[in-house]
Amino acid sequence: MPSLLASRTLDPAVVAVEDRLYRALAVLRIVVLLNAIALNVHRANFSHPRLGVAVLVAMGAWTAFAIWAYAAPQRRVPALLIADMTMTVASLLSTLVVKGPWFNASVPGFWVAGALLACAVQWRWRGGLVAAAVISTVDLAIRDHITQTNYANVFLLMIAGPIVGYLCGSLQEMAASRAAAERAAAAAAERARLARVVHDGVLQVLALVQRRGTELGGPAAELGALAGEQEQALRTLIRQQDTSAAPWSAVADLVGALEQVAASSGLRVETSGPGGPVEMARGTVDEIAAVATECLANVARHVGSDARAWVLVESLSDQVVVTIRDEGPGIPAGRLEAAAAEGRLGVVESIRGRIRDLGGEALLFTDTGLGVEWEFTVPRRAPA
Amino acid sequence: MTQDVSDPVRVMVVDDHPMWRDAVGRDLLAAGFDVVAVAASGDEALARFRADRPQLLVLDLQIPGPGGVEVTAEVIRQDPSTRVLILSASGEQEDVLAAVKAGATGYLVKSASREELIAAVRRVARGDTVFTPGLAGLVLGEYRRLQEEPGPKLTARETEVLRLVAKGLSYKQIADRLVVSHRTVQNHVQNTLSKLQLHNRVQLTRWAIDQGLDEDPEDPM
Repeated sequence: MPSLLASRTLDPAVVAVEDRLYRALAVLRIVVLLNAIALNVHRANFSHPRLGVAVLVAMGAWTAFAIWAYAAPQRRVPALLIADMTMTVASLLSTLVVKGPWFNASVPGFWVAGALLACAVQWRWRGGLVAAAVISTVDLAIRDHITQTNYANVFLLMIAGPIVGYLCGSLQEMAASRAAAERAAAAAAERARLARVVHDGVLQVLALVQRRGTELGGPAAELGALAGEQEQALRTLIRQQDTSAAPWSAVADLVGALEQVAASSGLRVETSGPGGPVEMARGTVDEIAAVATECLANVARHVGSDARAWVLVESLSDQVVVTIRDEGPGIPAGRLEAAAAEGRLGVVESIRGRIRDLGGEALLFTDTGLGVEWEFTVPRRAPA
Repeated sequence: MTQDVSDPVRVMVVDDHPMWRDAVGRDLLAAGFDVVAVAASGDEALARFRADRPQLLVLDLQIPGPGGVEVTAEVIRQDPSTRVLILSASGEQEDVLAAVKAGATGYLVKSASREELIAAVRRVARGDTVFTPGLAGLVLGEYRRLQEEPGPKLTARETEVLRLVAKGLSYKQIADRLVVSHRTVQNHVQNTLSKLQLHNRVQLTRWAIDQGLDEDPEDPM
């Protein structure tokens, strides 16, 4: 039975589960031993009383030894379980002599459960099944007639062995996977801590290269600009790591999403917001991010690809305000109205419509020389 | 506090990256500041602070312990007239906010240009506050967080000014837009910080009283 006797796992979490199960089993062994002794004394129907007492004493001695032996993981070797089963089978067989072939109840009675459950704990459902089959076969074989009660006991034994084994296996697997998850979380936290140190160093150097490069001018300035882009990208990445919710989560961080939009816009965008994430429904966050992308694309189109822009996120109790501002030439007063009269107001109307669909309001402030400033006020809860 | 040429501001640069320390120190010297000390860690910074009595600290937040926030709190405790300008690379938001609450009056990211750095140091030395839009956003968020509990509140005007700073407007642009003086804008911005710092001190004192720290240790009770 290679799969049955396969090398035991050494995962401490699995061993801890086994320890608990064997401790519980130790209590059960004592209970079933006392039960067996009490029943035999009460019935007082031994044909060979001395031998009967000897069997009960042997069962008591084995119980004590088994409790001691199973207490330590390194002693739970196959030989121990086989010896446990052998003792159990022997105690069953002894009934033929102690009580004679016409007995009703075996000498050990429910004491057989100790070895059965040990096999179930150690070798899971297969162990429970095999042990139950062995005990049942012996129990039925030594009887000269089989009553309904005998059948019921055997049936319960055959069911209990594998089920308890299966449950023990599940418990051990759950303990193992929980321990693995805890180890993974600890490793991830340590990686994040190390990454923070490394990132800080890299940011320092990138900022320095950017600063010195810009001062030196010429080709060095180009290097400086590249370093600046990377600095921005890394900063965004760090923030994403800090705030990113699980991808299957129903909420998302608006600040993180807008920082990503800003970083991929190619513009020099400064994003500010409260410390910590601003969480909203994922769909709302995605839509606001999409609108922000459109706004920044507009800035790139009308102001220039290296324009500066600012994104501000404000988190109020029941709504969130997002402001996107540039310092471009702005839109002269009356231009939008004129365009609307001509039936073309694509971008502005599209932005207003999308925010309106979120149950919010989009305000546009602009005039010649004042740049363009969008202010979106969106309720925290999506409209029903 | 006005500074003339014969009496340059005494500055200490605290940063654990030698490259940065040197670059910032060089720039400040060239701009006429008296760089009296440099330090690579919190311990060193506090020791040099006691010895060299700088009037202004240019301080990185990520330094070997004690960190920038603790250093800020400690130097302000020892000499409340000390000015602290935070110069941070990664912009750890919690730390920036904590440092500002501990008494720092300026915050700048390291990617700022040399001119921006010099201008910021000058302004902080004058007693002005140096805000980035990022810091303004954080402070706004902090006031909104404090709204539910007893604590400092912003006036409508202060909120307005802080929002404009957070949206990237310069003090001059804000002054133009609100039709007030540059000085008024500066005062509003400064108030937002001092209220937060005061609140922080009140909380610390209350905490100290709760912990029984205000009692004389010699007192046998």
